[in-house]
Amino acid sequence: MLSFLIPALLLLVGCAAVLSYVLALHAATTAYDRSLLDPALDMAENVRLGANGPQLDMLAQEQEALLYDHEDTLVFQIRDGAGDLIAGVPDLAPAPPLAPGQRAFFDVTYNGKPLRIAAVRAATGFTVQVGETLNKRSRLVREILAAEFLPTVLIALASLALARTVVAHGIAPLARVRSQILARSPHDLRPLDERNAPLEIAPAIEAFNHLLSQLRDSNAVQQRFLTNAAHQLRTPLAALQMHLELLLRRELPSDVHQEIEAMHGATTRATRLANQLLILAKAEASMEQARPKTLVNLRSLADAAVHEWVPRAIAREVDLGFDLADASVWGDAVLLTESLNNLIDNALRYTPPGGAATVRCGVRSPTAYFSVEDSGPGIPQWAHERVFERFFRIQGTVGDGAGLGLAIVREVAEQHGAHVTIENPTGLGTRITVVFAAVTPEVPR
Amino acid sequence: MTCKSIGLMRILVVEDDPLLAAGLARVLGRCGHAVDRAASGIQADNLLRNTLYELVVLDIGLPDIDGFEVLRRLRLRRARTNVLVLTARDAVEDRVHGLDLGADDYLTKPFAIAEFEARVRALLRRTSAPAGPLEFRGLTIDIEVKRVKVHDVAVDLTVREWALLELFLARPGRVLSKEQIAQQLVNYDDALSLNTIEVYVSRLRSKIETEGVKIRTVRGFGYLWEAESV
Repeated sequence: MLSFLIPALLLLVGCAAVLSYVLALHAATTAYDRSLLDPALDMAENVRLGANGPQLDMLAQEQEALLYDHEDTLVFQIRDGAGDLIAGVPDLAPAPPLAPGQRAFFDVTYNGKPLRIAAVRAATGFTVQVGETLNKRSRLVREILAAEFLPTVLIALASLALARTVVAHGIAPLARVRSQILARSPHDLRPLDERNAPLEIAPAIEAFNHLLSQLRDSNAVQQRFLTNAAHQLRTPLAALQMHLELLLRRELPSDVHQEIEAMHGATTRATRLANQLLILAKAEASMEQARPKTLVNLRSLADAAVHEWVPRAIAREVDLGFDLADASVWGDAVLLTESLNNLIDNALRYTPPGGAATVRCGVRSPTAYFSVEDSGPGIPQWAHERVFERFFRIQGTVGDGAGLGLAIVREVAEQHGAHVTIENPTGLGTRITVVFAAVTPEVPR
Repeated sequence: MTCKSIGLMRILVVEDDPLLAAGLARVLGRCGHAVDRAASGIQADNLLRNTLYELVVLDIGLPDIDGFEVLRRLRLRRARTNVLVLTARDAVEDRVHGLDLGADDYLTKPFAIAEFEARVRALLRRTSAPAGPLEFRGLTIDIEVKRVKVHDVAVDLTVREWALLELFLARPGRVLSKEQIAQQLVNYDDALSLNTIEVYVSRLRSKIETEGVKIRTVRGFGYLWEAESV
């Protein structure tokens, strides 16, 4: 908008300048021409017709007085009807032919300088020319220009500044809306605030909100589908798993036993995947449906995890240890539990037998955290960001996960305004930490 | 092998998925328990009104009235039946809600059969009069007369060591935190520091651990009783 305004204003100022100049020149010329005519007429009146033709009957002092000017130099010349010089400077070119009694003004060059001439032809045939240098005319033009042009430029500059302010002011709400949109998480489909928007963009915001609400609806449908599908999958999978386990307790030929064990493994993986999809759908939905956040002590979540994970750690021959301190955060206990479960699950999966994993939680004012550290192969630096992508798996790793665990961890962290870090504290193994804003339990938000 | 030392019980399995219900019934039936099945909340409620069960394995998600409602009605009648609630893995609220309503234990689906059996055994042991001494590999414990034998050699335990041993036996398969132990043993000793507990545990270990019995340390947290039944 401003980029268009500046050249337009410059053009206007330019036109004003040209116009001012032409007008000033015209004014100066008209005024001074009239006063230049006076000495020419005076001279003409003092020409007498003698026996030898016309003669200027004027003393040198009188001529000088008549032609005196404090700024310009004046010269004169009188020629008879035949063009012969009667008086004045000889080197001034004869005036163009004039009718008797006619007057004329024109510009010539005299001694290399521009000169303005007033010429008068008397009825008796002689012609008087009085020439004047252009000093005061130029000065007048300059003065007029200064008097008119300078205010024009100032007005232009003022307009520009004004336009800038007005435009900036007009754009400010638009900029607010823009930053609102930019700050959004892609999962946040709540409508934009249209209360403070100026009238001009309100319809645009309304349309945008309409689109958001449609997106919300279709998201909700998708999430309901995912939730139901995962839920429906889970029960038959659990039954399948149980019956395979019952089969495995029987006396079976070793090849049959092996095959059933493989089926059991696959069933376990499918069950885990169904669970993870379910929790992911839940985490995504929670942003919009604003699941209630309560005061959650991370330590009690970890306490509950002990009972679930210690037997599995023992089965995998991993030394699962704990270092737990009270740490309260505002959060969704279900989602936080899932997040922690996934971290521990990963640690046990990727730690070889004989290794160790440690679950920690506590407060490092002003933050609260939980972390899980393992002595597995570690996550290479290049994958530190990518491991949070859904279904991302590092090629050649031993685990049999689907690659959803860390995606869940990050999703849940985002819901809680927390962030996730990956470290290789001792060069070996991985420590993943989720850092929250700590809450002092006595003073709820 | 895992059925011993618990008498025969009447158990109700409330689960609407027939395949899962059949599996659970089979696991429980192998120990000789009498197992009934209900596929809906109403049916379960009716059965519970008319029959005395020692244990109900109760799924929360049921087609008509949910497991919570069945549990609530059961407790309204002041029935002392043990209840093991089965919940979905992502439903911490269910777990808490279930315990509030008077469930005795919970298990999240899916679970390993061994885990299920351990919980069932622990719950049934509560109601059953101990049918003789507990037999583990290399260790015999007679709770009634407070006598412990390691490889048939009697071992003397102090009062506190007994209390500790009973704590472990009451919660087989569960990790006990040092804080929990301190709370439970506070009657026997006024000021129990967490360090003192380590001392008790290590003394108990030296007296009763055998090739089949182990008190495992869960680093930074507490202890887990691991014993092979005979």
